[in-house]
Amino acid sequence: MSRIDEILNIADHIPPFPKVAMQVMKMLEDPEVHTKDLAETIQYDSAITANLIKTCNAAYFGLSRKISSLDEALVLIGHAALKDIIIASSSARFYKGEAGGGYQLEQGDLWKHSVATAIMAKSISRHFKGVEPGTAFTVGLLHDIGKRFLSSFVASDFKKIMDRTYNDGLSFMEAEHEILGMDHAELGSMILQKWDFPEEMVLAVKLHHDPKALDKDPLTALLALANTLVISLGVGVGADGLSGAMQGEGLKRFKISARDLDQYMMNLLLEMEKAEEMMTLSK
Amino acid sequence: MKQIVGISDMKIANKPDEELVTYSLGSCIGVALWDPIVKVGALLHYMLPDSNIDKEKAEMKPFMFADTGVPRMFKEIYKLGAVKERMKVYVVGGAQVMDDSGLFNIGKRNQMIIQKMFFKNNVAITKEDVGGTVNRTITLHVGTGQVKLKTSGRGEVDL
Repeated sequence: MSRIDEILNIADHIPPFPKVAMQVMKMLEDPEVHTKDLAETIQYDSAITANLIKTCNAAYFGLSRKISSLDEALVLIGHAALKDIIIASSSARFYKGEAGGGYQLEQGDLWKHSVATAIMAKSISRHFKGVEPGTAFTVGLLHDIGKRFLSSFVASDFKKIMDRTYNDGLSFMEAEHEILGMDHAELGSMILQKWDFPEEMVLAVKLHHDPKALDKDPLTALLALANTLVISLGVGVGADGLSGAMQGEGLKRFKISARDLDQYMMNLLLEMEKAEEMMTLSK
Repeated sequence: MKQIVGISDMKIANKPDEELVTYSLGSCIGVALWDPIVKVGALLHYMLPDSNIDKEKAEMKPFMFADTGVPRMFKEIYKLGAVKERMKVYVVGGAQVMDDSGLFNIGKRNQMIIQKMFFKNNVAITKEDVGGTVNRTITLHVGTGQVKLKTSGRGEVDL
């Protein structure tokens, strides 16, 4: 089997996104949904339930008292926050252990990078007309899922990839694409498609390293910006470093200035401190 | 013993077996100081050049910004007997993604402010490794003053 076939084969056999999460997201489309029905659905997945209770207590979600049961959580947490928490609680399972090791990410780094990007995506979402904060959060959390599944392939060809970046000035992802026939953005978008996430998310993940991403549709631009800022801060960054271009010109369309960027970076650090419980979900 | 310096933090040590390390400097800058006589070392990891953006947060987290963090770092290390004229000074980080518009030039701005501050205050940089698109990790061995630099994708070298 050729390498690209091997990769595509893996993409075909990727475990499904937790069913419970998809069901709950659907239920939450109805603003009148009963807490009891939500609880009945969620408790089928014990990992999600445990993660949900833990995550609710992060200062990031601003609850005034400590929660110890699912029922309590569902009564106190608003639906918008609940969506974020469900997605985070369901995604964590894909980022355990050495996820991203091929990119020389330490244990937990890929998850940390993903949560940071989700938080950043949500906080900049007000600049991007028509993008729901919850959608921004979700796409931030899942944008690098391709790394999780491409990691072992990157590991076996690591030297070749690095040589192309040093000797020929390719970005890490360009070299990744050239040598493996596939890059993590492309694979990630295939995975999101398979998991039935909306088309706009599939596209945003696919283009999140495109130098012209800021000129594209709002969700694509938002994700590329959030990821660029988190990478600049060095949060969960591996061998690919800050390599790659991002044409900042497109930011003007969204009325975002360099000063805004500084402010968002500063705020991210403080929000990450408040989201400690979420940061440790992949452990 | 290894002490980790987080983003927007600074640590000082003067025990010979101690190491100060800061991981994953992207556009942020790591500044290491070491006095060979009193053998005291300090390591700072600042994130942004200018605290004017939010004075209140700068009060809370002075090491987030170069203009509040660097002077404070020098003040703290002087308290442990370090002397400016004999200190070794290392500056690393300040990388950035490639962008012609200059909007993502946080790394460059972070480099420029420290050069300006050091020039004004007669501080000579012993060695630096700044710019580019790489991620850096720096370790200072307090007993020996040895500084190690690890760059994303490459190994670790003496700076």
